[in-house]
Amino acid sequence: MTSQNNIKNLVCPFCSIHCDDISVTTTNDQYKVHQKNTICAKKIESYNLNNKSLVMPMIGKKVVKLSEALKQISNLIEGHNETLILNHGVELAGLRSILNFASQRNCIIDHVGSKFLYQNIGVVQRTGYMATSLTETKNRADTIIVFGNEIFNKTPRLIDKVLVPKDSLCTESKKEIILVGDFSEKIVKTIKGKCNITNIKLDLNLINDFLKLLAANDLKSMKGLKKSELTKIKNILDKSKYLVATWTASDFIKTLNPNKIIASICKHIVDLNVSSRAACMPISGVLADATSSQALTWMTGFPSRIKHIDGTFKHDRNAFDSQKLIDEKNVDVVIHVSTINSEKLQINKNITNIVLGHPNTSFTSTPDIFIPVGIPGIDYEGIMFRTDNVVSVALKNIRDIKLPSAQNILDNLA
Amino acid sequence: MITQLKSGNIYDPHNKICNLKNDVFIQDGKIIDKKDVKSKVDKVINCSDKIIMPGAIDLHTHIGGGKVNIARLMLEEFHNEKEPGYDSSAIIAPSTLKTGLKYIEMGYTTCLEPALLPINARQAHAEMSDIPFIDKGGYALLGNDDYFLDLLRKKSSQSTINDYVAFILSATQSLGIKVVNPGGINAFKFNQRALNVDEKSKYYGITPREIVEKLTRAIYDLGVPHPLHVHCSNLGIPGNFLSTIETIKAANGLPIHLTHIQFQSYGNNGDKGFSSAAVEISNYLNKIENLTCDVGQIMFGQTVTMSGDSMSQYRNHHHAHPNKWMCMDIECDAGCGVVPFKYKDKSFVNALQWAIGLEIFLLAEDPWKVFLTTDHPNGAPFTSYPHLIKLLMDKTFRNDILSQLPKEILNHTILHTLSREYTLNEIAIMTRSAPAKILGLKEKGNLSAGSDADITVYDRNKKDIEEMFTHPSLVIKDGKVVVENGKIKEYVWGKTHTVKPEYDRSIEKDLGKFFEKYHTMKLDNYILSDDEMNRLIGSPVYVNDCKYKRKQ
Repeated sequence: MTSQNNIKNLVCPFCSIHCDDISVTTTNDQYKVHQKNTICAKKIESYNLNNKSLVMPMIGKKVVKLSEALKQISNLIEGHNETLILNHGVELAGLRSILNFASQRNCIIDHVGSKFLYQNIGVVQRTGYMATSLTETKNRADTIIVFGNEIFNKTPRLIDKVLVPKDSLCTESKKEIILVGDFSEKIVKTIKGKCNITNIKLDLNLINDFLKLLAANDLKSMKGLKKSELTKIKNILDKSKYLVATWTASDFIKTLNPNKIIASICKHIVDLNVSSRAACMPISGVLADATSSQALTWMTGFPSRIKHIDGTFKHDRNAFDSQKLIDEKNVDVVIHVSTINSEKLQINKNITNIVLGHPNTSFTSTPDIFIPVGIPGIDYEGIMFRTDNVVSVALKNIRDIKLPSAQNILDNLA
Repeated sequence: MITQLKSGNIYDPHNKICNLKNDVFIQDGKIIDKKDVKSKVDKVINCSDKIIMPGAIDLHTHIGGGKVNIARLMLEEFHNEKEPGYDSSAIIAPSTLKTGLKYIEMGYTTCLEPALLPINARQAHAEMSDIPFIDKGGYALLGNDDYFLDLLRKKSSQSTINDYVAFILSATQSLGIKVVNPGGINAFKFNQRALNVDEKSKYYGITPREIVEKLTRAIYDLGVPHPLHVHCSNLGIPGNFLSTIETIKAANGLPIHLTHIQFQSYGNNGDKGFSSAAVEISNYLNKIENLTCDVGQIMFGQTVTMSGDSMSQYRNHHHAHPNKWMCMDIECDAGCGVVPFKYKDKSFVNALQWAIGLEIFLLAEDPWKVFLTTDHPNGAPFTSYPHLIKLLMDKTFRNDILSQLPKEILNHTILHTLSREYTLNEIAIMTRSAPAKILGLKEKGNLSAGSDADITVYDRNKKDIEEMFTHPSLVIKDGKVVVENGKIKEYVWGKTHTVKPEYDRSIEKDLGKFFEKYHTMKLDNYILSDDEMNRLIGSPVYVNDCKYKRKQ
């Protein structure tokens, strides 16, 4: 029997903006997304069940009962030395359960996006900075400078929701958008009609030099940038009453010194505040990175990379780096918790891999054990944190495919 | 199950009981009257050499929300404490677990987060729900949000403002309303660097006085027990006692609570341009009936300041120790600033701040109007309360410390002339009965039949009062013994206290449009339901009564 249901205002769990204005029609266990931004619509729909979806637990390639899979996991953990729980994205309740499980079973916890997280956190821990949030940017920013293009791949609706919105509370003149880096024609075109746009195709390695020149009184040309272009940008910045600088840390990973780039942006913004207003708005990863760092921080004092030992825990951002632990074979079991990840999940050789993943999870090779779990915001309710770390959203439940949550599984195993 | 605390020396100021030997009976998490003990007493605890008080209440402590987490994140190098039984997080920015453990071990059973940003309420409650043992609640921040300022600019009626205030209380699951630097945080977003009480903000053309007037009136009309909780304009600025007095006047005689008043009681006399105005402020406190305050005492040592007052925190960032800080503009709602700071006993300014806080305590004629706080962690971590109590109860101890501070401060403070010593009963008032009363928590802060069995039992044989208050013999939460001789016996999880005055729901229609147009989330998603609090956030809601039915 077909039952159709129209849902307004779905809260999307799949990127760090967490838009809550998405209309969905569900028909039995399928759903269709009505959203102008086709990138987002396609992404959300890609989690629909299909004939490749894994809805039963598996040990290797063999379908098993859940109880059998759970028993096998318990035995595996008992018989091994070091277990890593690698978070690929889960909501607050799942995270609480990860922490509880880790404390019961003496595990290490890390998030796959920690290296990017630490680039932004590094500035907070070394110098601090001036920050802002999505709604402030939407309503108050008259000038926005975007460093790197990856930001629009990660958060496709950042443009229409925040940077160039239809309505804005306090900005009277046309917004100025400065794009620093190699942006597609499509992006430029999308922004162009709605505000003044300046696109500087600057090598991201040169951001530090670029900002130093802008701060100096005496402007001169630099590699890839004429003096006249710099003058134009400086004039825009000088006129700005509320400037926002935004970036995503993963964009800088291929540069020579990502930390230095982020530090120089933050310093530039801090300096502007001596006489004007300006703020930074880093965009976090799409795998519930903000949820993970926020909740772990309040529960332990540390945002990631902790190891539980007999009722207490230690933090070491180098020693408990998951990639390093795996590469150096300092862990023998990895429990991947992956409820919203659309990327192919890396299964590591010579290590036991257990995956608590959504049914459409794909792998580089077959994991030792797979338990399908529901998706927060699709299959069950939950809470996730937005990129600006100040707003959290309540995810809804729009389908019923009778799968447990990651929280259910971890609590059962603890 | 019935538990009897037998023959303790009881301090229960709410019931005018002071050092009276008696029993307390507990059943099903509540205190019961002796005459209602109908069955066998299951457990008798001998309290013959003990002092019994209701569980303590901290009405102003920053224990949850975005700024607390920024501090935890920023100050990672301080997360190296090695006290057995606790995690390594720093007491100036403790983990939620450590917060709960340290509070309960001192006999505190209810704590209020004073700066709950409405847009951040979901996080703040989620965070606080991970604090074990204690009951909690928060004051929602208003007075810097663009929606409210626009209501004032449009000359909206008091009734509309009341609807909005009531909506915020309900939607954010809060117990009260706080205003921080009225209008100043918003003005800072438009690059104003100061905003005095009668100065108009450049963008909205609204003065802090108007904001305080409207909000105190709204709280009064709605019958919300806790008066408007006010962090005044010009925090920390020498000479700010004048704007503090003007803020008091802005309430027009309606109830008003001034928070961390120590930071608001500064004169600007002397060659250093900094002096105590505690006498002037205390005169107001003593003569105005509807005025209450908490002190925000500072203690010497490292801490971290965190506040919604981004204007002040930006101004103070040059004093950061260690040298790092963060300020944030938040969601057309509010702001925040986190600045680590070290109070030094050799510093003239810090020493005088210490003295000013104590002056305010000692000059207060009525302990029901003054509450013991350090504005954790702004003045000092909450774990310094026993030390503060000793400073208040022991003038020799106090004067010994004063004698070690820079001598110049004696020209600007009268602390050395104050010989008052607080009594145990007065301490019980300011840490139990008075906060419960001012918050409207009828079942807290007293040992009446029907009240929550949140009880702290102290060893009266302990000679050092600081030690006595640091390590109670017994702490009972909701009728369960959770701490015994310093050891945790059982984990319990508290609830969230709220108040929900009635309002005209048509305000949500206008707000819905505002959210649709200007926010980046919908109003429906902004509102926290009781169900979400219970199931997803993890803290059931307890709705406290308003004082009366809405007046307007």
